[in-house]
Amino acid sequence: MLPSFELLEPHSLDEALKMLATSEATPLAGGTNLLPDLRAHGRAGRRFISLAALDQLRGVEHKGNRVIMGGSTTLNDILRDPLMPKAAPSLVSMAKVFAGTMIRNAATIAGNICYGSPSADAIPPLLSVDAEVTLTSAAGERTLPLDSFLLGYKKTAHQPDELLKTVAWTIPAADSANLFYKLGRRRGDAITVVGVAVTVVIESGSCSKARIALGSVAPTVFRAKEAENILIGGPLTAATIDQAALTAAQASRPIDDIRASAEYRRHAVHMLVRRLLTQAWQTSGAKQHD
Amino acid sequence: MNRMENPLAGVKSEKFRQVGKPLIRTDSPTKVYGTAVYAGDLTMPGMLYAAVLHSERASALLRRVDTTRAKELPGVHCVLTAEDLPASQGVMTDMPGQTGGMTKNTKQPILAKDRVRFCGEPIALVAAESVAIAEQAIGLIDVDYQDIDGVYDPFDALAPGAPIVYGDDNVVASYKIRKGDIEKGFAEADVIVENTFTTQYQEQAFLEPEAALAWVDELEVLNIRSSTQVVEHYRAVADAIGLPHNRVRLRAEFVGGGFGGKEVMTIEVWLALLALASRRPVRLVQPRERSFLSHGPRHPFNITHRTGVTRDGKITALQISFTSDAGAYAKLSPYILLYATVGATGPYRVDNLHVDSVSAATNNLPACAFRGFGTMQANLACEGQMEEIAKTLGMDSMEVRRRNFIRTGDANATGQIIRSAVWSDQCATQALAALGKRPENSQTTRIGHGVACYQQSYGRILWMKDSSEAWVGVEMDGTVVVRSAVADIGGGQSSALAQITAEILGVPMKEVVVYFGDGAVTPLAGTSTASRALYMSGNATQMAATRVRENLLGCAGRHFSVEAEELDMNDSQVFVVGDPKRSMTINDCVKLCAAEGVHRHNLAIFKAPTSEGIDPETGQGEVFPDFTYGAHAAQVAVDIETGEVRVLQSIGAHDVGQAINLRAVEGQVEGSALMGQGFALCEELILEQGQLQTRSLSEYLIPTSEDVPKIKAIILESGSGLGPFGSKGIGEPVYAPVAASIANAVTDAIGVHIFELPITPEKIVKALRRKETVG
Amino acid sequence: MTDKKTGMAREKLVNIHVNGTACEITVPAWRTLLEVLRELGHVEVKCGCEKGDCGACAVLLDGEVVDSCLTLAWNADRRSVMTVQGLGGPGKAHPLQTAFIEHGGAQCGYCTPGMILAAKALLDDIPNPSLDDIKRGLSGNLCRCTGYTRIFSAIRAAAQALRQEGGTS
Repeated sequence: MLPSFELLEPHSLDEALKMLATSEATPLAGGTNLLPDLRAHGRAGRRFISLAALDQLRGVEHKGNRVIMGGSTTLNDILRDPLMPKAAPSLVSMAKVFAGTMIRNAATIAGNICYGSPSADAIPPLLSVDAEVTLTSAAGERTLPLDSFLLGYKKTAHQPDELLKTVAWTIPAADSANLFYKLGRRRGDAITVVGVAVTVVIESGSCSKARIALGSVAPTVFRAKEAENILIGGPLTAATIDQAALTAAQASRPIDDIRASAEYRRHAVHMLVRRLLTQAWQTSGAKQHD
Repeated sequence: MNRMENPLAGVKSEKFRQVGKPLIRTDSPTKVYGTAVYAGDLTMPGMLYAAVLHSERASALLRRVDTTRAKELPGVHCVLTAEDLPASQGVMTDMPGQTGGMTKNTKQPILAKDRVRFCGEPIALVAAESVAIAEQAIGLIDVDYQDIDGVYDPFDALAPGAPIVYGDDNVVASYKIRKGDIEKGFAEADVIVENTFTTQYQEQAFLEPEAALAWVDELEVLNIRSSTQVVEHYRAVADAIGLPHNRVRLRAEFVGGGFGGKEVMTIEVWLALLALASRRPVRLVQPRERSFLSHGPRHPFNITHRTGVTRDGKITALQISFTSDAGAYAKLSPYILLYATVGATGPYRVDNLHVDSVSAATNNLPACAFRGFGTMQANLACEGQMEEIAKTLGMDSMEVRRRNFIRTGDANATGQIIRSAVWSDQCATQALAALGKRPENSQTTRIGHGVACYQQSYGRILWMKDSSEAWVGVEMDGTVVVRSAVADIGGGQSSALAQITAEILGVPMKEVVVYFGDGAVTPLAGTSTASRALYMSGNATQMAATRVRENLLGCAGRHFSVEAEELDMNDSQVFVVGDPKRSMTINDCVKLCAAEGVHRHNLAIFKAPTSEGIDPETGQGEVFPDFTYGAHAAQVAVDIETGEVRVLQSIGAHDVGQAINLRAVEGQVEGSALMGQGFALCEELILEQGQLQTRSLSEYLIPTSEDVPKIKAIILESGSGLGPFGSKGIGEPVYAPVAASIANAVTDAIGVHIFELPITPEKIVKALRRKETVG
Repeated sequence: MTDKKTGMAREKLVNIHVNGTACEITVPAWRTLLEVLRELGHVEVKCGCEKGDCGACAVLLDGEVVDSCLTLAWNADRRSVMTVQGLGGPGKAHPLQTAFIEHGGAQCGYCTPGMILAAKALLDDIPNPSLDDIKRGLSGNLCRCTGYTRIFSAIRAAAQALRQEGGTS
């Protein structure tokens, strides 16, 4: 059972932000991370703010080539959005393998991002599309790249008085591929051992932009920028891809845990980044030839 | 389905009307409608809630357990520690429900006193007005531990100077088999193949954690309604707390999964003590993380095979050693080791055999019964070794198996003559054939096919002198009642009794009600363990129903002036065969019986065969009533870059003797396919210095719906079993070959055998690297 | 009850429509829907892990399948909950229940109430699901007995029955 706590139930975003500004309280959205944590080691007497009634935080807006996703959008909402397979293919692939059905119905995108876990599955796809997060508080709003929002193990730039209002990104260019793969110890409802999302954009037969985002292999989800740079400015040959994949593996700082060793995780990063880049190059190249 | 006329079993060739058919199980509707009651669903007026304090240390002295603050908490009714317990200070953990002699009399403290031997050992019990208060009280108990040296590996535990956890030398049990002339056998061999196989802890992970409710009733009888596989625990509860046996009544509710984990007593004795101390009903449902600590998982085994074979694949000598980690208390470890020892040679005939087995105590979680009970670990090594022998000889592994399969009339490892049909070859051939054509390898995936055979006993060890009773009666309206204390653990245990009775008395199965699982008002049936429930209770029910039928037909025969043999029963009618006009309803027939003063019911006892044990020096003797044989085949795709394994097909083919309910049998095969896949690939309880690292179902990973391959059950029926209508036990047997077949399929895919379970992606990557380096 | 210092309600009267019946219960914020439903006598909602790992406690909340162990009772206030008993019963079985019975989709039965409701949510979403859809739809519901094979076939049969029903009405 859960330890006792207080729950504030604001009816509007303004009310919620006022509560956050004036009382030490933690936002509670889907609760799929927070409640199990609380049950396992929580102390009694904490205070939470329920975001359940704040409908305006939930939903996806497609505006031209921009996608703006409310923080309370659930993982299943992503799967139900008919435009999402074009807007962020990697995000859809991810949502399909994110935990189980009931968790997907409850877990929110803001919750997954703000919890800041290295194994947060939603983050690699969002990093791979250069998503930005907009945080709001009674004092105002600020927008920053998701990449700079992640600071360390379960540490983010989220301030106690803020809510993650939206995540937004620009739909990848036509000649691009955006892929995700999750390696777990079982196929369904698994904590990620290695999560990889890549984006490859091709212009005139050469790679003009690349993103490689890695989960569960460092204190936080991160972009392997050195590896990305290797890919820019030419066609992606097998050798270039392997070099980038190896560089991504070297940039990883995994740990040994009950799921896998650090050594294996590095190896898997090498293999999976190589595989996804190869697939991305082939599919985006194929699009260009159409 | 195939059927063999087996003269040994005396099976009638007549078609059954209901037996063998995939009829709807009697327990299905209530479970599907959500009306089935489980132990944790029960409530009573004035009921208190229990909580248990488990040790946080694996090896420590208890310098002080101070319950003062917990007792002062409002709403707490009682707090019990070892000091409050009756003098017996232990609960019998030897074979539960055993009626014969030769118990090992292993006792485990109900609550730790002075010392804890494993992380999770119970230290104190609380009963309070609510779960919240009980949990708070647990948190207020101050335990002063003083860590002492522990031992966490069975080989370390057996080394001189190891910290002592059990007895004088940490040896919980040991056995040996000495059969034939091993020196001569090795001399005759052309090659000798030696390998060591290891297996991990496996958790039962039943969906329903331990749950029970206990209270003292108006007759001063202590009642316990529990999720248990063993109604006869009422005796162990009574003995542990000093009550007469007739003052403890245990009822087994529908069990939300057992798999052996609810065989040895779990929480019942704790609730008995709390109910007696508080004089209130007390209920406990273990939270999942404590469920992991409340029953014994499958033993890790280390198994070495040294096999002498001729060039044409005949085994001439086999030397096997087993070492199992018993954990901190003996529980059923001696018997599990015995099962492994007897099953050491799998379904093969080995004339020159040495087996040495030992189970060592450590400060790890005490391991205990789990579907397969040691035999499956032994079998895994046998079947891996078959692949290695075949590779060494350049033969097909099925050919090696065929050269060595045990046959009806052969002696097994302990010299027991196999009397029933042995259809290992047919089963393996059919299972492999059902896999069909191999898909093409891709650049990064390799497809593998694997098969494994097995020999697994059903029924209890013969010197336990097992028996089972059942009562069958017909009501005045022609409906039928079966009474049996069998525990219904989800395999259709009670439903099978209804189906057997319906067949014999010629009534629709829905006209039969089975009252089950009550130690006081249903005749004792023995345990729902050892794949014995159908074998034992099925036979008892068949006997009782047959006698009722004889009584009814006797009355009807006098009425129609024909011999009873000329009558039959079907569709609730009693009729003269070939003369349908001369018939009466079963109701009328029952009325005739009543008028004549003839019994409309019968209480039967079925007694299993018995023996007086094995020779301790040679291990020779009769150990089990009979064995089930079959095979499992698997098709896997291995990602050679990441080491991920995907099971594509999983096919079990088993000689079940005679299916009682075809759908239920297939369900056992299918369920075992996924459970065995978990054991092969992803399930592992991880302990570090005795501390359990995997205490949730997100860390201990059982296969999910997304992991399910194409699963198929092929049911063969030799009719040669000792159960009702020639059936054999199947609950454990169908599980025995699964993990081995998957391990062998992986070997087939990547060309290297993984000797250490579970086969993780990491181990595959390492093995492939070694293969590359070696060339 | 109100906390004097903060002015916040420590307990709240929540009104939950369970299987069509309005139920009122006063609970503090930290009580889960699972606990409350069971206290209300809906013990067909099973508890297996209390942390969203097993799905035994799954119910429909306004038609969406949720783990009731991770849903606060307050969040169910003025909403409707369906348990497996609300789906149907003897004499008025839902096609999913009929199919589970006929196909042998239940063994020990402990996962069954949650499993059937996850299946219901799936079929509401995808009336003609592929095998992959079914596998994904049940990915939060653990079953240790059946190997899922009969659960899959029951759901396919129920889907067909429901489509036929829909076609005739």
